[in-house]
Amino acid sequence: MASDLPYAADAEVSLSYDELEVLRLQYQKELAQGYVTVQTKFNYAWGLVKAPIRDHQVEGVRLLQELYRAEPTRRRECLYYLALGHFKMGNFEEAKKFNALLMEKEPSNMQAISLAQLIDKGVAREGYIGMALVGGAAAIGTLLVAGLIRRATRK
Amino acid sequence: MAPAATKPPAPVNCKLLLIGNSSVGKSSLLLRFSDEQWLPEDESSATIGVDFRVHKMDVKGKKVKLSIWDTAGQERFRTITSSYYRGAQGIILVYDVSNRESFDALPRWYSELETYVNDKVVKILVGNKVDKEFSRQVPTSEAEAFATRMNSLFVETSAKTSVGVKEAFTEVVERIMDIPELWDSAPGVGAAGKGKASSGQMPGGNVNLNDENEEGGGGGCSC
Repeated sequence: MASDLPYAADAEVSLSYDELEVLRLQYQKELAQGYVTVQTKFNYAWGLVKAPIRDHQVEGVRLLQELYRAEPTRRRECLYYLALGHFKMGNFEEAKKFNALLMEKEPSNMQAISLAQLIDKGVAREGYIGMALVGGAAAIGTLLVAGLIRRATRK
Repeated sequence: MAPAATKPPAPVNCKLLLIGNSSVGKSSLLLRFSDEQWLPEDESSATIGVDFRVHKMDVKGKKVKLSIWDTAGQERFRTITSSYYRGAQGIILVYDVSNRESFDALPRWYSELETYVNDKVVKILVGNKVDKEFSRQVPTSEAEAFATRMNSLFVETSAKTSVGVKEAFTEVVERIMDIPELWDSAPGVGAAGKGKASSGQMPGGNVNLNDENEEGGGGGCSC
């Protein structure tokens, strides 16, 4: 009865529109009042990072970066979600960097280990696609050259 | 009695959620159950937000695909974790038998359940760390009585020695299988939140994610 590997749930599950809206409204209310609590900002950033929309992810990562700098007590969760956000955006190098910082502090953190595996998979996939593109381009190039040669020799 | 073999072989999806104070051993129970492993305290780290595992098992002749959501117990993640209640068919409430405070916090966890899940959802109260018998602070009988009052199953466990761990998970799933409306394709039964929740603030000063506007579909057995 083996189980699958641990899995970064937040990488794929996003909030409903209304749920994200609750977090956004709270954030903007506090912003308008001139003081945003760390918790509110983190909650909103988390919701944004989980979102499927790239603009949201970018904004979420930006907020997390601010939190990371300003709140030493929140660093571990910021690192995790920064890594996750970059992973979702396909910035695997950045994702790796942040996740490695977390793993440096907590080498046996299962969530970080599983996220690292996901990132590696992402890198590998990108590698295959890259190779396929290069391979495809080479094949097309060969055909073109062959065609040109054929044409040239006909005359 | 059971109409065996009439059901198609597709596995039943089942979502379980682990909740309870921080450091009571939620992640350790999950690790013991799914991987037969245990991490000593100095190597284990507090869960960030949520973690998630998939585990397949056979229960009462049915293939069940369990997705088990392990939530952070820390207050700071309360808003975040509350969004994962949606769609759960079973809730595992964990306390530490050697930590009275974690037991005394249970009413708060139950009131959160009242807000977020249907009362048909199966609940089990789990007293973890019975390997620390010498420093026990919560008598079995008291916890058992409390569980009965809260309409929950009850078991004592040790993720460290693996006592009772498998039983805890199996019991919940078996009970869920006894209530087909929880998992039998019909959308939106036990799974969805209860909709109306005292809007705005949570006791911990957090935002309540379960705003009135229910999301369409209501979860069902989706994982």
